[in-house]
Amino acid sequence: MSRVPSNFFAQPFSLGELLAHALAIELDAVQSYSELAEQMRQCGNDDVAELFERMSKLEAEHASKIREEAGDTELPELAPWEYRWLELEAPENIDLAGVHYLMTPYHALSLALDNENGALAFFEAAADNCEDDRTRELAIEFADDERQHVAWMEEWLAKFPEPDTDWDEDLDPPAAID
Amino acid sequence: MSAQAPCKLKASDYKSDYKPVWCPGCGDYHVLLSLTKAVAQIGLRPEEIAVVSGIGCSSRISGYLNCYGFHGIHGRALPLATGVKVARPDLTVIAAGGDGDGFSIGGNHLLHACRRNIDITYVVMDNEIYGMTKGQPSPTTDPDWDSKLAPGGTGISPFHPLVIALASGANFVARAFSGDPNGTARILVDAINHPGFSFVQILSPCVTFRPDQKEWKNAVHPAPVTPTSDPAQAARRLMTDDGFNIGVLYKGAREPYRQAVVREPRVERDIDEEFMV
Repeated sequence: MSRVPSNFFAQPFSLGELLAHALAIELDAVQSYSELAEQMRQCGNDDVAELFERMSKLEAEHASKIREEAGDTELPELAPWEYRWLELEAPENIDLAGVHYLMTPYHALSLALDNENGALAFFEAAADNCEDDRTRELAIEFADDERQHVAWMEEWLAKFPEPDTDWDEDLDPPAAID
Repeated sequence: MSAQAPCKLKASDYKSDYKPVWCPGCGDYHVLLSLTKAVAQIGLRPEEIAVVSGIGCSSRISGYLNCYGFHGIHGRALPLATGVKVARPDLTVIAAGGDGDGFSIGGNHLLHACRRNIDITYVVMDNEIYGMTKGQPSPTTDPDWDSKLAPGGTGISPFHPLVIALASGANFVARAFSGDPNGTARILVDAINHPGFSFVQILSPCVTFRPDQKEWKNAVHPAPVTPTSDPAQAARRLMTDDGFNIGVLYKGAREPYRQAVVREPRVERDIDEEFMV
């Protein structure tokens, strides 16, 4: 489904559209990470819950920065399916297939790194598809921000070694799985 | 819907304070997200919506929303939703549940809800398994799905929800995928706005008992056709359906059920009198 043709290049991004997309990316991420943190807390996976909570806070800071950047610019009201992403969903929308109740910080940070790379790809592509120079400059600025986030995430991830292949082995699994 | 002006609520404003207890990675999280996005997009106020559910993991959804909710008994989401809609036609009524709840225990109710064509939207989160009771095969489980609880598979052909809904008279028939929350929200908006009984099957992976369903994201694809209002054409399309076509299949024009006689609402005094000893 992620390989469906995108409407990304249907028209160039206006300043308002670009800001609306940037804000949606961050707000989606805030919500996704916060929900993942709650899910992990419920499963007793506190280390990962804490990581997701921190990521949610970081994304909330990014969202505030974008709001400041937007200032008085009027942002278009878009239906969820009217956003023009490179793929079907916003780049920082969590792929639930990568979530597991026994996931480790390594997996959580890998997911986050994928998302940051997705956001970077979005802004790089958007920079080539803007209707004016001001919008293009902003897209480049957002791409630079995301590049920095990718670097942070890589640095963070490097602190956690890749777990053994049996990381998801549950000694008390739900019935019918074993 | 009431005559009030559309509200400007965010999707998150429709979530209740209860935190979902679904397994991390469960597709139902995204169904919840899609549903809140859909009602926010339509501009419905929480007090204009009733979500009625049966029993099962997915049926918990009514508790996670801050609109009217009724977490009913197993397989009975549709009779309850029918009652709510008949009593309160002003409400937008959404019935929700899983494949076991809707197609097995509640299977007969599905047939008659489609036939009656009451203005309800029925959302079935289909994971092809009974998740809450630890992974027994459901009516949509493949016959050769081998598991500890069904060694060698059931050998029984699965139920085809869209075929049944169409043949039984549903006025709107669609399939969505939980991994595409925005696309699912769009389909739900369409389903809720369409008059009559709207049936939406949402493929929603069970990561705990069916980890193989993580591959669904690579299997689903947009249906290469536009919705039809011709049930015969819709039926022909279903003959070649691989189960992973996503989109609206059928939008009928059948008049929804309306009560022939609308009684005056009973006043509190009448009810007091009925309960007098």
